[in-house]
Amino acid sequence: MRRFVISLVAAIAVVLAVGGAVVAGSGGGSSITRARLERSLPATFSNLYAQRATLLGHGGITPESLHASAMCDKGGAVEPDVGAGSNWNCLVSWTDPTNPMPPEGYGKLELQVHSNGCYTASAPSKLVGFATLTDTKGREVTNPVAEFDGCFDPNGDNTPTGVELPSLLSVTTTALRPDSTGHVAIQVTCGTGAGGCQGTVTATAGDADLGTVPVTVHEEQTETFSFPTAVPHRAPEVTFTFHLTTGVGPTKPVTLEMPPG
Amino acid sequence: MTTATLAPAARTDVRRREASLGDAIRWETRKLRAQLRSKALLIGSLVAPIAVVVVVGAQSRPPKDSLFGRFSTVNGFAMALLVLGFASQWILPLVTAVVAGDIFASEDQHGTWKTVLTRSVSRSRLFWAKVVVAIVFGLLALVLLAAATIGASLLIVGHGPLIGLSGQVIQPSTALPLVAASWATMAPPLVAFTCLALLFSVWSRNAAVGIAAPVVIAMVMQLVGSLGGVEAIRPYLLTTPFEAWHGLLAEPRFTGPILDGAATSAVWAAVSLLAAFLVVRHRDITGG
Repeated sequence: MRRFVISLVAAIAVVLAVGGAVVAGSGGGSSITRARLERSLPATFSNLYAQRATLLGHGGITPESLHASAMCDKGGAVEPDVGAGSNWNCLVSWTDPTNPMPPEGYGKLELQVHSNGCYTASAPSKLVGFATLTDTKGREVTNPVAEFDGCFDPNGDNTPTGVELPSLLSVTTTALRPDSTGHVAIQVTCGTGAGGCQGTVTATAGDADLGTVPVTVHEEQTETFSFPTAVPHRAPEVTFTFHLTTGVGPTKPVTLEMPPG
Repeated sequence: MTTATLAPAARTDVRRREASLGDAIRWETRKLRAQLRSKALLIGSLVAPIAVVVVVGAQSRPPKDSLFGRFSTVNGFAMALLVLGFASQWILPLVTAVVAGDIFASEDQHGTWKTVLTRSVSRSRLFWAKVVVAIVFGLLALVLLAAATIGASLLIVGHGPLIGLSGQVIQPSTALPLVAASWATMAPPLVAFTCLALLFSVWSRNAAVGIAAPVVIAMVMQLVGSLGGVEAIRPYLLTTPFEAWHGLLAEPRFTGPILDGAATSAVWAAVSLLAAFLVVRHRDITGG
């Protein structure tokens, strides 16, 4: 028994010592990088998307015709894009004539990337459908692209792909809450993308202009912007218009109702 | 009277040749064949995969959290690879350690070192015979596990085209050799774990330690290898080669991890064997 304890302690000590030395020497270098994911994910996605098209009977869609490209990010702007984790997000853009893309031009896939170079991705259901689909013969089959696994070569090409897709800005406020002086504020969130969201937002209540404020939100962050002019008494609603120089905002002005009274 | 009986005995001693490595291997194999444990293990390697395939194949919800689990209930190739992923994590180190961890320690347990070594076989020959027998046993168990898993998966679940790890469709005629090759990539780390178990068997002189220690080490390495932030030590872990087969199912195929894994396994095996050999060599057997 004593030998067992000694061997176990010795083995763990050796593993920790070697591991510590290696990690210290290499700076914790991981083979899981943004560039490798950005190469692997579009290829896997295209193959599976083409299989979905075949199941649905959409002709003329091949992995090549989709021209898929991806921009991946781990944990927003604050975290380096390297290493395993469940906080990887990849924006994937592709071309399918039977299925137009939203204004931002891409879909966001959430990835769980494992330390062995394999990942599990789930695609947005509004673009690829739900977990099962009805094929041309009327059978319920698994949607191959709704959630899928893939692996990439840990020694593969690691030069940056240069793919950049804009962040999507969206309004998270659902009901306006004016403060005691009648001023309103709006909360917005900026999604994964290159460079975050920058521009201006203008608020109007009927004919009254509540002012224009600059918008700067880093990717995967939420900010609140308040307007300098108070909302006129009895104004029923406030309209917010976004003009973004970086990122993609709501295409139509957002109108929110004022609380009664 | 005494001289009359001793004289012929002395003559036969002179004629008796020294036992070769082949003889020693034959004795060790015979000991193994007499053990209930080793026979049970081989039969288990043949029967257990069939039971696993039947049970997993009958699930209404496929085990999606494992690689190839998603299509394992409808595709036999995916099932065989799902079982491979599970076996490499938990089963293979145990299977080989059951024999390798015991093969030296059993001589201590039965107090038979003096008996085997005073027969005319040299220490190093006996050592290498035990090493060869333990490795061959581990590989035999792997072959049985692989054959039973692949056979049962294809017969019970079916053999349609397989979706690979790059989303590509792999036709059954290509999928079968790839699945078999994936199972074959388990051999180098399995041999290395066998050598590690031999080292613990020699050093601890206790079969329980010889069997348990490699399994515990495998679990610790598995855990360390799956942690984020310390990925740089993965190439040195003996559990990483168990995952090298992923490259065979991707497109384009990549075999770098398999070659790296073979090198890692070779180093672990060589160091373990060298240490075990030195311990056997310098061991004083006169005491027990």
